[in-house]
Amino acid sequence: MKTNHHPSESWLLDYALGNLPELFEGIIRPHVGVCEQCRDVISFAERLGGDMLAATPAAGATLDARAICDHHEQQNTQTGAVSRAEDVAVADDIEQLVATYLNSSLDALPWRRIGKGLRICRLAEHDDTRMWMLRGEPGMVLPEHTHVGSELTLVLKGAYFCSSNIYNAGDIEDADENTEHQPVITRDGECICLAVTEGKLQFQDWLPRLVQPFIGI
Amino acid sequence: MTDNLFKLPGKDADGAAAERAVETRLLERVRDEGDREAFGDLFERFTPRLVSWVSGQGCEPSLAESVVQDVMITAWTRAHLFNSTKASARTWIYTLARNRMIDYHRSGSRRARAYEGFAIMAPTTSSTADDPERDINRAWAADLLGELPATQRDIVLMIYVEGRTHREVSEMLDVPVGTVKSRTRLALQRLRKLMEERP
Repeated sequence: MKTNHHPSESWLLDYALGNLPELFEGIIRPHVGVCEQCRDVISFAERLGGDMLAATPAAGATLDARAICDHHEQQNTQTGAVSRAEDVAVADDIEQLVATYLNSSLDALPWRRIGKGLRICRLAEHDDTRMWMLRGEPGMVLPEHTHVGSELTLVLKGAYFCSSNIYNAGDIEDADENTEHQPVITRDGECICLAVTEGKLQFQDWLPRLVQPFIGI
Repeated sequence: MTDNLFKLPGKDADGAAAERAVETRLLERVRDEGDREAFGDLFERFTPRLVSWVSGQGCEPSLAESVVQDVMITAWTRAHLFNSTKASARTWIYTLARNRMIDYHRSGSRRARAYEGFAIMAPTTSSTADDPERDINRAWAADLLGELPATQRDIVLMIYVEGRTHREVSEMLDVPVGTVKSRTRLALQRLRKLMEERP
């Protein structure tokens, strides 16, 4: 699948090194599954990790190699990729891939209407980070907002415009507290996005701020 | 951290590449022949470094050897999964250790990292003096990292040595997260180019 917008290398390093908070991992992983370019960055990050390990000074250790060989049989099962670039479901359909991760079709999720042409579905929450989905009808203009932390948005279906860019299925928009944006869904079809957001959205207009406590984003 | 901290005399790219090839051949022997001697050699090369590495990543000292033992058991029992066309032995062992540390952190163990972990990349540390092989790897890495501006190098070290997230790096250095992202991007681009030139 051809993707044009990717998470920054910082996110991919956090993913490759296993340091990503769980909800963010839940959005990076499906993108990696459809994006060869990001899998390549992860492979490089792991290669660099191997060289950094080899350059690490030794610490005292009392472990015994013979004990391992004596007490553990070598196996021959062919499963179990160890690289995070390979330990993903590689796919060409991001909507289907995420449905597989969720074990539910997107239509079957408990969508909640939050206004004309817009529905959301809250999926998970941990500390001040939330994973949710947004579903908008063609041409919908979302309220202008900024953030108090990071936000990653993965397009699952359709497309939206934002800040001179167009985000299509498989693309990730990487935003943070320095990003002020107002996504506009393209007119050729509905758009479904998976998002992970730190903290509450900071809306510019009073109306979204008024209803924000009721929709919980 | 100063620029000259990572500068070492001479280039060690050839030596480092040779070391990487030796390690990979050893792991191939473990994989193909169940060669205990080769495993013992790999064990001696990597176990002390792994203990140091997992400790730097926040593993409690009392558990570090146990975690490393798990990594090396996996290296022995699942050597058949090693594919030398995709990764060197050191990258493969690194990924095993990284995966084990993901399990460790998810099990709820607390991270106990120290910013002083930066010092482990300093080439002046005396513990390298009596180990020419490790000195080659260390000199190669130091030489590579020495090519980066200090602001980029610090970020790479915080991420790789201490296991910090880019958000944590932003908070610790008190710079915008966008700055961390752009410096990381530039650092990776530069390192990739250098590693292609000095395999």
